[in-house]
Amino acid sequence: MISAITKAFSNLLKKPYTCNYPVTPVIKPKNYRGLIKFNDEYCIWCDKCEKVCPPNAIIFKQFEDGHKVYNYNPYLCIYCGDCIRACPKTGDALWQCEEKGLPSISKDAPNDDWFILEKEAKQSRENYKAIKAAKKKS
Amino acid sequence: MKKTINIPYGSQHIALLEPVRFQFETQNEKIVGVKADIGYVHRGIEKACTSTFEYKQIPSVVARVCGLCAITHSLTYVMAVEQIIDVNVSEKAKYLRMLMVELDRIHSHMLCLSHTAENAGYEALFMQIMADREIIMDIQEAISGNRVQFDFVCIGGVNRDITDEIVKFIIKSLNELQPKIEDIFDMFENNWSLSLKYKGIGAITKENASIYNALGPLARAAGLETDVRAESDYYPYEKIGYKMILEQTGDIYGRNRVRLREILSSIDMIKNILCDIPEGNIIEKVKGKPNGESVARLEAPRGEIFYYLKGVKQAMLDRVRTKTPTFSGIPAMVEIFKGQEYGDVPAILASFDPCMSCTAK
Ligand code: SF4
Ligand code: SF4
Repeated sequence: MISAITKAFSNLLKKPYTCNYPVTPVIKPKNYRGLIKFNDEYCIWCDKCEKVCPPNAIIFKQFEDGHKVYNYNPYLCIYCGDCIRACPKTGDALWQCEEKGLPSISKDAPNDDWFILEKEAKQSRENYKAIKAAKKKS
Repeated sequence: MKKTINIPYGSQHIALLEPVRFQFETQNEKIVGVKADIGYVHRGIEKACTSTFEYKQIPSVVARVCGLCAITHSLTYVMAVEQIIDVNVSEKAKYLRMLMVELDRIHSHMLCLSHTAENAGYEALFMQIMADREIIMDIQEAISGNRVQFDFVCIGGVNRDITDEIVKFIIKSLNELQPKIEDIFDMFENNWSLSLKYKGIGAITKENASIYNALGPLARAAGLETDVRAESDYYPYEKIGYKMILEQTGDIYGRNRVRLREILSSIDMIKNILCDIPEGNIIEKVKGKPNGESVARLEAPRGEIFYYLKGVKQAMLDRVRTKTPTFSGIPAMVEIFKGQEYGDVPAILASFDPCMSCTAK
């Protein structure tokens, strides 16, 4: 009991446990799991990352000539790293950096625009398939 | 006849961390009847696992059932899947998994102790324990790369290896934590005013614990020997010096003691794990689609967690069933409340360490 009281008073003289975030940055450990980065020069467009991603944070939109565009939603991503492990070109085409994802504000439209894009991407794939099938026939 | 008054406790209440509702029937402050309603945070995760996500994605999904048991949920699921698709996990991966589970136990028990202190009116003790808990969070962050959502286990092993640097960091941090836990232990043990709030309150007998299916620290505090770590030999727990921790009193004081002693024993176990992590791969290749049924059990910080899976040779599973420790423990909790003073409810409830996001899923 007495030791607890002395401790309580001695704590008054100590520095606080918490840090003054965001003025003082938080120390992140090495290999912190942060945002996903992409480089289209090395990508072989195999779509493996898109398929494994649990929250569908990576989406490829396909154009009529067959080329694809990578889309990434940092607000949906859970930084699980499954895409990195699935990618055959890890490190060159896709890698995980140590940068922390920021919370979104409404102007980022993390949901609505993304869901529209999701639908468009799906449609674009089907369109491309249809074009290809038609070409084969003719 | 005495007048009975019904007092609702929750779903929003100052002493509740998560939404749950208890309806207490009281006579002169004494509780004579309890009803529990637990479905406030239902998110349909079991359904999502069979309709939206493929079986390889589910470890990340079930990890988000609960922030405290992130590792135990995904690990139990992964163990169940590994049984169906016949993957043998390397010894090294098993050791790394045990390491994370024991770290999880330490920080979860510390959280419970802090809330028990807070709900009994000891705000400063709450803050002290929460601050010390950061040590464990930092260790977990160093191992897995994230503070809460570890995404550490995967089907076939674990995702990340551990380096010598991290091993050194863990041992240093644990050596720092140990005297702090002993200090807290001393406080819970010898502080007179804390004992007024805890000793003899919220007690359950061994017989009742067994009849009402108490589990985890709740059962072990009453002297009931139940612990999945002792009952299954999937993980080599005897090798790392596991001992079952039992108390006889069955009250809040007993539960606190079980938790504190388990923290100390987990610290020892972690040191043993780090001493003899075997060599080997951390991950095995996984092929095929699950076909069949399986169950897996694991000792989560709050008691036994159980997964049942059924696969029909498709990427999506047919059934995923989770039974969480708090859900199984509700009958015992209701029994304990009967006969107690209404004023003691917050502390008793916190000492159960209930996790509603697990329970309602
Ligand atoms: S880290 Fe996980 S959630 Fe994020 S894009 Fe990769 S697979 Fe998707
Ligand atoms: S998995 Fe890698 S190579 Fe394949 S599409 Fe994704 S980024 Fe490109």
